[in-house]
Amino acid sequence: MTPDRPGRRPGIGVALGRVAVALTVAFGGLAAGAGYWQVVRSGELSSAPDDAAVIAAGRHVVRGEITDRDGERLAWSLTDANGEPYRKYLSNSLSGVLGYASRAFGSAGLERAYDAQLTGITSADPVQDLVKKFRAEPSDPQAIQTTLVAQLQEAAVRALGADRGAVVMLDPQTGDVLVIASTPVFDASAVADPETSAQAFGSLQGDPDKPLLPRATQGRYVPGSVFKIVTAIAALGSGAVSADTTFPEQPAGEKNGLVVSGYRVRDGHHGSTGSVALDFAGATEASCNIWYALAGLRTGGDALASWAGKLGFGEPIPFDLRTAASQVTGGGGSFGGGFTDAVELANAAYGQAETVVTPLQMALVTSTVANQGILMRPHLVRSFTGRAGTQDVDPEVWQRVLTSGQAREIAAAMQRAVEGPLGRQFTTGAQVNGLTVAGKSGTAELGGTGEPNSWFIGFAPAKNPEIVIAIVVEQGGRGSERAAPIGGDLLAAWKAWAGR
Amino acid sequence: MSLALPGMPRLHPRLRRRELGLLLIVALALPVGSASLAATRALGTATSPPIGGIPLADGVALAWYLGGLFAAHFLLVLSGRRTDQVLLPTVGLLGGISLLLMERLPQGLAGGLGLGRTQLVWLLVSIGFIAGIGALVRSDAWLRLYKYSWAALGVGLLLVTFAFGHDVNGQRLTLTVGPLTGQPSELLKVILVVFLAGYLSENRPLLIEESTRLGPIRIPPLPYLAPMIAMWALALSIVVVQRDLGAALLFFAVFLLLLYVVTARASFVVLGLLALFAGGALLYELVPHVRVRVDIWLDPFATASGSGYQVVQALHAFARGGILGTGLGAGLPTIGGAPPIPALHTDFPFAALGEELGLIGIMGILGLYLVVIERGLRIAASAVDDFRAILAAGLSLVIGVQAFIIAAGNLKLIPLTGITLPFISYGGSSLLTNGVVVGLLIALSDRGAEAPRIPSELRGFRRLRDRGAA
Repeated sequence: MTPDRPGRRPGIGVALGRVAVALTVAFGGLAAGAGYWQVVRSGELSSAPDDAAVIAAGRHVVRGEITDRDGERLAWSLTDANGEPYRKYLSNSLSGVLGYASRAFGSAGLERAYDAQLTGITSADPVQDLVKKFRAEPSDPQAIQTTLVAQLQEAAVRALGADRGAVVMLDPQTGDVLVIASTPVFDASAVADPETSAQAFGSLQGDPDKPLLPRATQGRYVPGSVFKIVTAIAALGSGAVSADTTFPEQPAGEKNGLVVSGYRVRDGHHGSTGSVALDFAGATEASCNIWYALAGLRTGGDALASWAGKLGFGEPIPFDLRTAASQVTGGGGSFGGGFTDAVELANAAYGQAETVVTPLQMALVTSTVANQGILMRPHLVRSFTGRAGTQDVDPEVWQRVLTSGQAREIAAAMQRAVEGPLGRQFTTGAQVNGLTVAGKSGTAELGGTGEPNSWFIGFAPAKNPEIVIAIVVEQGGRGSERAAPIGGDLLAAWKAWAGR
Repeated sequence: MSLALPGMPRLHPRLRRRELGLLLIVALALPVGSASLAATRALGTATSPPIGGIPLADGVALAWYLGGLFAAHFLLVLSGRRTDQVLLPTVGLLGGISLLLMERLPQGLAGGLGLGRTQLVWLLVSIGFIAGIGALVRSDAWLRLYKYSWAALGVGLLLVTFAFGHDVNGQRLTLTVGPLTGQPSELLKVILVVFLAGYLSENRPLLIEESTRLGPIRIPPLPYLAPMIAMWALALSIVVVQRDLGAALLFFAVFLLLLYVVTARASFVVLGLLALFAGGALLYELVPHVRVRVDIWLDPFATASGSGYQVVQALHAFARGGILGTGLGAGLPTIGGAPPIPALHTDFPFAALGEELGLIGIMGILGLYLVVIERGLRIAASAVDDFRAILAAGLSLVIGVQAFIIAAGNLKLIPLTGITLPFISYGGSSLLTNGVVVGLLIALSDRGAEAPRIPSELRGFRRLRDRGAA
């Protein structure tokens, strides 16, 4: 049988050659796919807390220690009767940030976020990771020095007392987080200890106060008036409003309510300002809802949402710990920026409506104002130390939000909100002897008859800010009554620690 | 040189230096791997405690395996044929890697002898088929002349599986006859290739010369479209009835590639791919398990602890391996005594090797499959006639495309399907069938092969038929 080779079409040999090329390309695609998972995504996936190797290592590797910024031990390992290691923690006050590492119940918090480093599955040095298979002892548990200050963390939890709430304190110039407190706290050592873990973890899961929820990073709260600082950043940043802007309809709106699209926006507190049309600083000092509603309407939904986005709203904040996303609106509306209509925008501009925030998010908003408009990426770790030495984590600029001039105007208004004659009635508790404090309180109405959430955000010293604070107390009443005095106490504690 | 033993036909052994050299490399590489594995297991790792003592038994299994490879080589030498000398060492290395992997996984994954021992037995059977067919099969008439009988056998096998097969992991793939359990779709792929080689070689002139225009594109002449549609329907029915996406994809892809080999018409391939996507879209809408598979593929991390668990765990395994791998025995941390990936030994050995041998090992294994493909296509290109060319091409494509489909599924490049990785996955049906495939390729590569002898009675039949057709 002679093979047919019609002249018009290429023969079998040519077609076979093309098939061979096609398959070679396809196998090249496989190699590229393997390269993607084994090189590009390797570090991220192999150090993820739910990676099987990370989980397995957690059971029988002695984890690295965790210390605070002054070197005090926050978490270390003990050995049980079977010679298996388990975790011990310095204080319950750390539960909202360190979480726990338990053989039976997995891990949470910083213990979970850096499971791979603490168990030595991955190190901070990629070259070490590459050659670790050639070493006799392949795991290299890293010790972590955090940016936390144990004594301030303790003070924050003590100040919150029996209330549910959260405190975040950070350095606006570096993004170093000094305090992440969440109450109620829990006994992480009891969860980690194999003798007590089942009982301890069981009762925590059933607790209606939800102590396992890290409120500072994952608690989502109605912000109330502290959100006005976000509106101020959007309004001044976009140029829609200047520091001198006044709204003629504002004094009447305070008395009779401001009509927006047929709906009346009312202000809870007026009278003290009389019939004066307030400027930006005056409105911030008096916490004037009507001025902010008008400023929000003039700024527009798109601009408010996009400036909030620059501050971290809309998505989980990239941070060492898992965070919840803050939002200016529930979204889906067609009015601009996801707002439903002018009424929602007007209400959102002073922190009601569908707006919800995490305490960490509000600390970042404040940090932007305090650091001349530059938002540093927040971080919890100063360094990792393993066999190969110490790897420092450097401060990093995350977003440039405002010009330093715009930031100064907002900072000055926040200083008046603490020290001015009108502001004092809201935030008098935040004043500290020998320290100029700038800030803003908030009283977040939750609807219904319950007590509102009490907020305070602030920074100090007002001239060259070194510390930012954000506080929320669930159903703590007016911001002036509960959160602002905590702010004053903790800023005083910071002053004592920092030697200012 | 000739040897004559009483009672046996005269033998003309022919040395196979290249094969021997390559086998010696394999015989060096595998013991190194085995020693490294034994040392790792004895010392323990960050994620698995030491087992205490060096597992000598693994070395014994490897010795048996290497013995089998050299015995196969000896048989091929004795046959004295001028056949391919690269395929045996190449698949021998793949099988050896499989043996090391199965020895190191929890042995309870297979009953009876345990995972490693069972795989060793099937590997030896597979090598036996390679050597036996490669040494003894000289005529292809038994394949060439009975293509419709083979097709009928294939369809019958499929129908029997549809009717009497039992479900394993939601797929109706497994058939039990007496003490034997197997997956007929593995054997079916060889039968399919034999049929296609017969059908396509016979109709090649018509497929090339004639075509029907349908608007701007040319499609095959309508009468010859029928088998294409039948193939498409066959693939669809396998998906629907057996829930075996992998076999369906394999059959259809091999069919399209062979159609291209025969006609060199890219338009047929495009048409076939359109039919594939149309069928896929239809199945996505109608068949729940297809939708689940595709949804998992699109975003396995969305259901990382549910339906996407297996795929996500495999991706983590690749990620843990990195460039150099964890080393044999040092990866695959167990959760509750089991490896993290369900069905690791059958569906995900590629991910396991990705973890333990790293990207470098993955490249090596992909390279070995490419060698098998290139050797097979080379055998096809130098075949004496169309039938042998298409048969050799089809056989090498069956291995190459199958390896691609499962590896791509492991790597989340395409939806995951539950087919085996040739010569590496655990399983008798797969090893046996792929042994037959490689054995046939070696037999077909015989450059001294005589033209097929058509038995005289059939010759008369053919003359009759030809007269009738004319």
